[in-house]
Amino acid sequence: MGSVTRKKTLSVIALSAMIGLLLLPIVVAIPALASGGGEPAAGAPPAEAAQKEGTAKVEKARDVYYKTEGIVSGAPAPKTADNAQFYPRYNFESRVLLWFANQQHLYYGSFVLAVPIFCMVIEFIGVVTKDKAMAKKYDQLAYDFIKISLTAYSLTAILGGILIFTFLTLYPAFFGYLSSIFRPVMHIYALMFVAESGTLYIYYYAWDKMKEGLMKWLHLSMSVVLNVIGTLLMFLANSWIGFMMSPAGVDEQGRYLGNIWHVIHTALWNPLNVHRILGNMAFGGGVVAAYAAYRFLSAKNDEERAHYDWMGYIAMALGVAFLIPLPFAGYWLMREVYAYRQQMGITLMGGLLAWLFIIQATMIGILFLSSNYYLWQALGRMRGAERFQKWIKYFVFILVCGFLIFITPHTIVMTPAELKAMGGQQHPVLGNYGVMSAKNGGINVIITTTVLSFIWYMRGNRVPAVSWSKFGNIFMGVFFFFAYVNIIWLAIYGYYIPANVRVGLSVPQVATTLSCLFFMTALNVVMMKGAKQLGPIEWGKISVRSQYALIMLATAFTWMMGLMGYIRSSVRLFWHVNEIMRDNSPWAYTHTVGFGANMISFNVLFFWISIMFVFWLGTLGAKKAPVEAKVPVPGRAPEPAVGH
Amino acid sequence: MILTNPLFWFALLGLGVVVLVVGKKMGLLNNTMFAVGVSVVIAVAYFHIVDHYLMDMQGLDYWYLFRK
Repeated sequence: MGSVTRKKTLSVIALSAMIGLLLLPIVVAIPALASGGGEPAAGAPPAEAAQKEGTAKVEKARDVYYKTEGIVSGAPAPKTADNAQFYPRYNFESRVLLWFANQQHLYYGSFVLAVPIFCMVIEFIGVVTKDKAMAKKYDQLAYDFIKISLTAYSLTAILGGILIFTFLTLYPAFFGYLSSIFRPVMHIYALMFVAESGTLYIYYYAWDKMKEGLMKWLHLSMSVVLNVIGTLLMFLANSWIGFMMSPAGVDEQGRYLGNIWHVIHTALWNPLNVHRILGNMAFGGGVVAAYAAYRFLSAKNDEERAHYDWMGYIAMALGVAFLIPLPFAGYWLMREVYAYRQQMGITLMGGLLAWLFIIQATMIGILFLSSNYYLWQALGRMRGAERFQKWIKYFVFILVCGFLIFITPHTIVMTPAELKAMGGQQHPVLGNYGVMSAKNGGINVIITTTVLSFIWYMRGNRVPAVSWSKFGNIFMGVFFFFAYVNIIWLAIYGYYIPANVRVGLSVPQVATTLSCLFFMTALNVVMMKGAKQLGPIEWGKISVRSQYALIMLATAFTWMMGLMGYIRSSVRLFWHVNEIMRDNSPWAYTHTVGFGANMISFNVLFFWISIMFVFWLGTLGAKKAPVEAKVPVPGRAPEPAVGH
Repeated sequence: MILTNPLFWFALLGLGVVVLVVGKKMGLLNNTMFAVGVSVVIAVAYFHIVDHYLMDMQGLDYWYLFRK
């Protein structure tokens, strides 16, 4: 007994030491960060400053965003020209090469940041689940998740290297400037990457050794460390794009003013962080769901099919859980963009890039329609869920109405004859829907309906048994009804009030949708305690179409990420760093929508071909799963979970 | 106008909750008419409060059209 305790203590000390060593470089680097980086940020100090060193004259300048005064600590942003010095090139558009490298790195980066979070959640569920068989199944699922991300992690690192080389080769002046501004945190980023790699490998390879008792908790806590590092890495990367869009911490010439926090904490940093966390999670869920769908479709027996059906469902549910708040985070980001530079917002949503937002709306609609379709198909694996089938056509009607309003453009490109035939730029009826007031109503109706689909799915094979179930059902129905009424009312009301008041209506609309999500889901969970089972969930007995819906979901996520990245990047127009460093390359123009769409599609195709390779690699190591014995589940064999 | 006063909607919400508690004691919870009535009062009052305060927090007047 004493020996076991001693072993555990030693293991804990060893693990703590290992994590401590991994994090040590970051801790060591913190004083440099706190002092604003120590060394001047942008290369050598300005010539003037060097000359006047003897007189110790300090030049001060005003921060372009914070409007505070700071000591000039760096060189101004380079004034580039269209030549080989600033823009060395191959016989190809450099921007397209960079776009490709950046997008692929981002896809894999998002994936490997999201999957460990899922892994942590599922492993935690496994640890706290009292049912031993289920606990092992959750553990196996978490292991399956991390196994996929491990190969992807190596690819992420390789793509990161390719991205840096692309920057250095094709945009040396810009990259030099950016890395000089972020110099105090550049090495922290690199060291955190090392820390994340180390933690990930220990986490993966120690899975078998740390599967019981206290060691399991330690293993789980390692996933927390892993995710904290991963999230911080992402925040740092976001600070670069935030700086490029809404620079801060520099003066009008782009000279660093000695406060690295100002450089990181730009106007758009926080909305970008929130949007990217949610987006990564939704994307990660989608990719894992697609992996499960692929394994389901290629499964050789019922047991495998049941496992991957369950895995697909869990991944989809996690992905959609983050997809639901995603439009709200996007809305916040857009509001902040408008608040930062109104012109930037207009370029995005009412000008040059507005049509890309119509495509985005279409993709969002596809995501929600696919999710709902999957849930309706999934009802088919539950006995007793037939009672919901007759309502699906009404759901389809509501979703399609919301979708059509959501994708209606404000104006469309027309020939003079078409313009004359329609009587103006806007259609006399449909033109009314091409405004934000209607679109906000449309998307909130779609999301509320998705919440309702989820609640019905949770009730699929169960009937509430609480004494107040009738009241609960009626209350839920009435609450949803008035939520729809409120959303539509606010959408209509927006047409009758001035724009400066109307813009605020989106907030109560969002709150209405979120009220349905949180309150009604909570009410449903309470009502479902001790619910009467109408029949088992027959995992694996789901239509093949549902699996294609999962693949569709994942592809739509990927495409939309590519699109939104392009929109976000394009809004800078001819600036490398907005209003600070001008892009004087021959490619400082906005591509046509068609070219952009083709490029995004190419990126999506490349990502999916490469991730298929990763999936295939995952199948090669399938026999090395940590659960030695097959765990019998009470009841039917192909039944990985008794609940949802 | 009383409808534009958030206290009215709070009072209505409070009334709905009180009636719900009383109804529960009287065993009326599973009475359809009672359940619909109470649910409507609570839901309508709740969404009005949400609309009012979330506009108010942004410095905007939810009742703009009604006041004009």
